[in-house]
Amino acid sequence: MAAGSETKDNFLEMTEIRKSFGSMTVLHDVSLSVSQGEVICIIGPSGCGKSTLLRTANWLTPADGGEVRLAGELVGAVPDARSVSAQTKDLNALRARVGMVFQNFNVWPHLSVLENVVCSQMVVAKRSRSEAEKQALAALAEVGLDDKKSEWPDNLSGGQKQRLAIARVLAMDPVLVLMDEPTSALDPELVSGVLNVLKRLAEKGMTMIIVTHELGFASSVADRVVFMEEGRIVEEGAPDVILQTPKTERLKLFLEKLSITAFKPNSDNAGHPTMDSGS
Amino acid sequence: MSIDLSIFTNYGPQLLLGFWMTVKIVVAAIILGMPFGLVLALGRRSRLKLLRVLSASFIEVFRNTPFIIQVFMFFYVLPFYGLHLPAVYVGVVALAAFGSAYFAEVIRGGIDAVAKGQLESARATGMSDWQAMRYIVLPQTLPIILPAMTNQTLSLVKESAILSTITVGELTMAAITVQGETFRPFEAFIMVALLYWALNETLAIIMRRVERKVSKRSGSGSRAKAVRAAPAAKEG
Repeated sequence: MAAGSETKDNFLEMTEIRKSFGSMTVLHDVSLSVSQGEVICIIGPSGCGKSTLLRTANWLTPADGGEVRLAGELVGAVPDARSVSAQTKDLNALRARVGMVFQNFNVWPHLSVLENVVCSQMVVAKRSRSEAEKQALAALAEVGLDDKKSEWPDNLSGGQKQRLAIARVLAMDPVLVLMDEPTSALDPELVSGVLNVLKRLAEKGMTMIIVTHELGFASSVADRVVFMEEGRIVEEGAPDVILQTPKTERLKLFLEKLSITAFKPNSDNAGHPTMDSGS
Repeated sequence: MSIDLSIFTNYGPQLLLGFWMTVKIVVAAIILGMPFGLVLALGRRSRLKLLRVLSASFIEVFRNTPFIIQVFMFFYVLPFYGLHLPAVYVGVVALAAFGSAYFAEVIRGGIDAVAKGQLESARATGMSDWQAMRYIVLPQTLPIILPAMTNQTLSLVKESAILSTITVGELTMAAITVQGETFRPFEAFIMVALLYWALNETLAIIMRRVERKVSKRSGSGSRAKAVRAAPAAKEG
């Protein structure tokens, strides 16, 4: 896997992240550290806080407590309960280097496919149009959309929209990509196209945190799987260990619900990369 | 009551002069009022509380009081504080202030109608709040708000008639003058009614063209509809 000799530890460091919405605490002092080149899949039942954790990583959702650092640089921190969240002076510049892919794609419908990928490069990264277009075409080719560059996003399928969203992220040369259930809103037959793109990214050594229900994908691509429940990390480790010999009762129960049996090596269905998440 | 056609020819030029004044006042009020309405709409969702309160207060005051009272306040009250302005300027400012409050609410509605995820995804690529508004949210707002903006513009044209009460020589004022000189109210007022109607109808036709152009430019025809439907689908 991507975790090789060049692995830089603690590339992204999330320390004791706490977050509440109203009276409901969705994250209880969660800590997660990600090495450079590592691919992490976060799994867990809905409402367990996995998306919120992901969204605090680029401070899109500011935490109520804890600290996030990227390559040693402060992203955001809340030193104590009373203080407002301190954040890096240039959060926007930092976000430009951290890509984010959303469940609902969030492609920009008023811009053509090409312009979707060009826009932030020019506005945020201040690239010239010709340079931005060159980068955009390379990114679109990477996700297999180079022939759609003049289309409107509304004319794309869900899978194509999500691949466009990924191209938009790649064109910014991210050092870290956050993905919030990238295939959950897709029709089943479109899932594999997006997962293949993610797999290629992982093989190229992109550092990624992926919130997903696709356990087959997680087991084949992730360096580490993190299982969350009720705002806490319950168990984490290498995918084959975690998914096949879960230590905690909760994870066992969760995997049973997702009929993880399909992934046991001896099982008849072994090798099928995607599975029904039951949602 | 017979119609005295000579009034149309004798007083037509005078009425057209008033009509021209009305056009100039309304255009000036729109040029001032629309950008200010945008400022108010953005102010209302600002991070700074002071800006939010100021914008909201301005909008509420100008939306919830009669326009004629606003005009009187500008025209009769300001001089007490040493501010003497020609009636025309007062009229333009009053009309722009009144219009901007309505424009602001229309723009705010349009911004709210664009899915929250659009702003979020723009911020996530590193855009500032203003950049995300400028490049991602506001362009999507345009096709949504155009019909309502047209309505507000048409009603500004009609409200401008009230400026006749502070001696602005616009169309209604001209009609009142003609009526006073000729004692032929029907001829005088039917002419101004037709002129107002012609002006608004022209505006409406132009705006319909613009609407079609904007919705064509922003992709398929169903675009605006899709954007409006999106927020509901985004939840969960």
